[in-house]
Amino acid sequence: MLYDLSLHMGYIYDVPASGAHHVIRVLPLSIGNRQRLIAGSLTVSPQPDEQSNYVDFFRHPTTSIFVRNAHERLDIRMQARVQVENQAIGADFSPLLARLPEEISTDWSVEPDSPHHFLATSPRLPETPQIAEYARQWAGGGLTVMQIAQSVCARIHHDFTYDTEATTVDTTPRESFELKRGVCQDFVHVMIVALRSLGIPAGYVSGFLRTIPPPGKERLEGADAMHAWVRIWCGQTAGWIELDPTNNIAAGTDHIVVAYGRDYSDVAPVIGVLKSYGSQKAVQAVDVIPLKQS
Amino acid sequence: MGKKPATERRDDVKAGIGNDPAFAYSALPGVADEMVDNAGAVRPVWQNLLAALSRMPEGELSERFARADRYLRDAGVFYRAYGATGMSERSWPISHIPVLIDEREWQVLSAGLRQRADLLEQIIADIYGDNRLVESGLLPPALVGANPEFLRPLAGVKPAKGHYLHFLAFEIGRGPDGNWWVLADRAQAPSGAGFALETRVATTRAFSDIYAETNVHRLASFFGAFRDALQGMKRSGDGRIAVLTPGPANETYYEHAYIARYLGFMLLEGEDLAVVNDQVMVRTVAGLKPISVLWRRLDASYADPLELNQHSHIGTPGMVQALRAQAVTIVNALGSGILETRALLAFMPTISRHFLGEELQLPSIATWWCGQKAEREHVAANIGKMVIGPAYSGMPFFDDNGQSVLGSTLLTTKRKSISDWLSTDGHKLVGQEVVTLSTTPAWVDGKLLPRPMSLRVFAARTANGWQIMPGGFARIGSGDDVAAIAMQAGGSAADVWIVSDKPVERHTLLPAEETFTRNMPGSLPSRAADNLFWLGRYIERAEGALRILRAWHGRYAEAADPNQPLLADVSAYLAAIDIDTEEAVPESLLRNIDSAVYSASNIRDRFSPDGWLALNDLAKTARRFKQTITSGDDASHAMTILLRKLAGFAGLVHENMYRFTGWRFLSLGRYIERGLHMTRLLGRMSGPDAPDGALDMLLEIGDSVMTHRRRYNVNTARLTVTDLLALDPLNPRSILFQMNEIHREVEQLPNAFVNGQMSPFYREAMRLHSGLAVMTPETMDGDVYRRLERELERLSDLLAQTYLG
Repeated sequence: MLYDLSLHMGYIYDVPASGAHHVIRVLPLSIGNRQRLIAGSLTVSPQPDEQSNYVDFFRHPTTSIFVRNAHERLDIRMQARVQVENQAIGADFSPLLARLPEEISTDWSVEPDSPHHFLATSPRLPETPQIAEYARQWAGGGLTVMQIAQSVCARIHHDFTYDTEATTVDTTPRESFELKRGVCQDFVHVMIVALRSLGIPAGYVSGFLRTIPPPGKERLEGADAMHAWVRIWCGQTAGWIELDPTNNIAAGTDHIVVAYGRDYSDVAPVIGVLKSYGSQKAVQAVDVIPLKQS
Repeated sequence: MGKKPATERRDDVKAGIGNDPAFAYSALPGVADEMVDNAGAVRPVWQNLLAALSRMPEGELSERFARADRYLRDAGVFYRAYGATGMSERSWPISHIPVLIDEREWQVLSAGLRQRADLLEQIIADIYGDNRLVESGLLPPALVGANPEFLRPLAGVKPAKGHYLHFLAFEIGRGPDGNWWVLADRAQAPSGAGFALETRVATTRAFSDIYAETNVHRLASFFGAFRDALQGMKRSGDGRIAVLTPGPANETYYEHAYIARYLGFMLLEGEDLAVVNDQVMVRTVAGLKPISVLWRRLDASYADPLELNQHSHIGTPGMVQALRAQAVTIVNALGSGILETRALLAFMPTISRHFLGEELQLPSIATWWCGQKAEREHVAANIGKMVIGPAYSGMPFFDDNGQSVLGSTLLTTKRKSISDWLSTDGHKLVGQEVVTLSTTPAWVDGKLLPRPMSLRVFAARTANGWQIMPGGFARIGSGDDVAAIAMQAGGSAADVWIVSDKPVERHTLLPAEETFTRNMPGSLPSRAADNLFWLGRYIERAEGALRILRAWHGRYAEAADPNQPLLADVSAYLAAIDIDTEEAVPESLLRNIDSAVYSASNIRDRFSPDGWLALNDLAKTARRFKQTITSGDDASHAMTILLRKLAGFAGLVHENMYRFTGWRFLSLGRYIERGLHMTRLLGRMSGPDAPDGALDMLLEIGDSVMTHRRRYNVNTARLTVTDLLALDPLNPRSILFQMNEIHREVEQLPNAFVNGQMSPFYREAMRLHSGLAVMTPETMDGDVYRRLERELERLSDLLAQTYLG
């Protein structure tokens, strides 16, 4: 699939902000055969006084900006053309859960894709006994890691209600778990905590979802803003797979990857530190337009 | 007190021990002891001290201990303890009997620690570099990937000066066989070096005579070498060096301030800093100034809210970017905390062979990481001899707030589940061999008793490689149990004397060597002097601002036009000292009063409760006014109220404070600030081109309207106003009056004369005074005032250099 993407993130300040630092991660990645960024651009208004680009630990091209003088709003706009290949999950080559620790321990690497980064707690995801208890039903038995991941994904999709009002960006997995409500970020965080409690490496994927569904299909939840789903390490042979608990589907050609990380804190599209005394309002608009059927 | 040299008593050591039951010391069976050897004989380095102690008349020892305690109390040496009831300040708990170690043994220990420091440097360079250790199977990847101290944004970031580590601490202990073991490595932001210094000073207060006669290695040269090393890392002549502290709420804040002052570095917090075009800058009243070296005392994850802990309020956005650009050196590099990981101890021996091609000269406490099958089984099989604790903890097992448990206690409570626990949670756990630490004598209830101890030793990277501080401090348990070493559990700290056969080199960074040994009452710690001096300056600065603002608002109430020439002129003057007349109660005035409160809070023991309350009342009232007061008459009246409250505080201090060195520093702060204030005002407002009404306003600000009327019988004129406010020695607001008083106070300060000659500071004070005394009103022009202002500021700097560094 070939897509034209556009993203607008706007921040409107009650009292003009100044001395504003922002780290921005919104451009789609190029990932081997899976996804190719053909063209992409990022513009910020007002024009930053300083701007630098670097590649972060999880290999995402990151932009850091600084706006010195007082400004009443900040607008970040991204446009990109991306080619996404089909990622059907094939036959299940993942091991039984009991075999997984041994497979993990044979991975002598701390490269960004190494499972070792995705097994422990991470800044947003402390150990959460309630979620571990919820996940215990998958601990025994003869299921493979991939089967467990799919089952957890389906279960969360079933048990949770998509609700844009129930949670905020700072809601903890425990809170959204107790509410059984939330948006993609909440679904994803709960699923990651559940999988890690079983010893399965799991991480956060931020990205975009195709806005208008193909003819005859339902519109997916989360398409009007940046989206999130889960990646799961299913052993040395199967490697990483990606599942979307908000929609209970595998990430396919409708999913465009922006960044990988351990949780939201690694991939937050915009992290800002600025001087401002009032409150702020954020607006976000996303368009993901398929250019042709493949 | 009679001061016979301690050496006179050297002959009868054994008798001393034998005769006095208080000194009938014997080590615990099966435990090494620092003072006595296995045969029960006193080790040679201890004999002098013990002999001296045992011959002291009853009561002398407690007098001596009281001197040490008094020093610590006066210096305000404290650390903060966090408990169930919140945070509290605790005085530094000193165990008065020092630990003595033979220089020859120390040299062996030092060589081992230097080797270890080099190894740690190679490990950290690998973890944040190529990860060869993981790839070659020497370091389990989980210890990096699952480690909360592995800071991903720093991966691949090379330190500007090539090295990650510059200052380390080690917790070491001696086992029953007499050999030393490393219990924990401290690499994040090792604390305690300043406490070691203060413990040394306090201990020498108690034992000045014995210390003077024992060849104890001094600590100062270690700090001097490290200061030089930090200075060597500056990028250019302009780059500053600063100590970066998390702020006054930190448990060891006292030490941050102490170290900064001792070494002459700025003490900064994250918000003092800004990153501009990748360069770390410090905000000063004169604008942004570059920083090239930061000795950080805050944990790395808080250093940058953009790229590290996003919830940090004490960091500096862009700090990681500055590191990426190699524009600043941070000591130690952000991310070094990973070296403190307890599980890492298990892999040090193989890594040492791999990197250095040699064995560890100083072994670590035996450690097994339970994330590996064979190791896990070993721990389970030997659980009775193990301490089980968190694998990623950076604290030694006896100091981690009870997170570690003795395997033997598990045996009785939940034997069955141990191997289950280890296999499900193994990667989060380590087993460590239970060690019996050596004991050292502590004075408990009137006698010497053996108490377990560990040493904290410091290492600094210098131009000549790692240098080990000859000393440090010993942590002494409150009971027989090793766990009682933790200060939270009642442990205390003792000085460590490295004793040589030969006289040792003496070197001090303190302004006066005798501060170590002199027992003069009231010899004032630099820290307190500094705070007093600044309290004086802040109070006076607040008063100066209040007087100008009162006069300004009084006139504004009449003119109702801030652009009226005089008002505009004064507004411009105030803007230059950061006061905005558009605010009725300017924010910077409040900050000023808060700074006075803060300075006073550090030396509260020097004020009567009345004085402290008066100062806080002033601050609170000013804050309240900020909300309600409007410009003009209202503000003018408010300033009068604040002036009265300020005078109330000053009066309480004046009436109650003991007239000694502390008083002089407080007074000097006031005189210098008042002199500066009047000099600037006259320079600005008494010139021929000053706006109409400036001279009358000057008299009002200088509280001299009545005096002027009485003395001169003429209308205000430039010369009469100059005469009264600059050169009248009887007017307590004139510049000359301040110079007189400064001269008088400086004369009384310690070390005003060095070897019969005036100190540079005294000479400067005298020169300033006499230079002004011979002036006439006609000669006082703008150039003279500008020069005078510079000279007064230099005098303040010279005072700080001479007494507060």
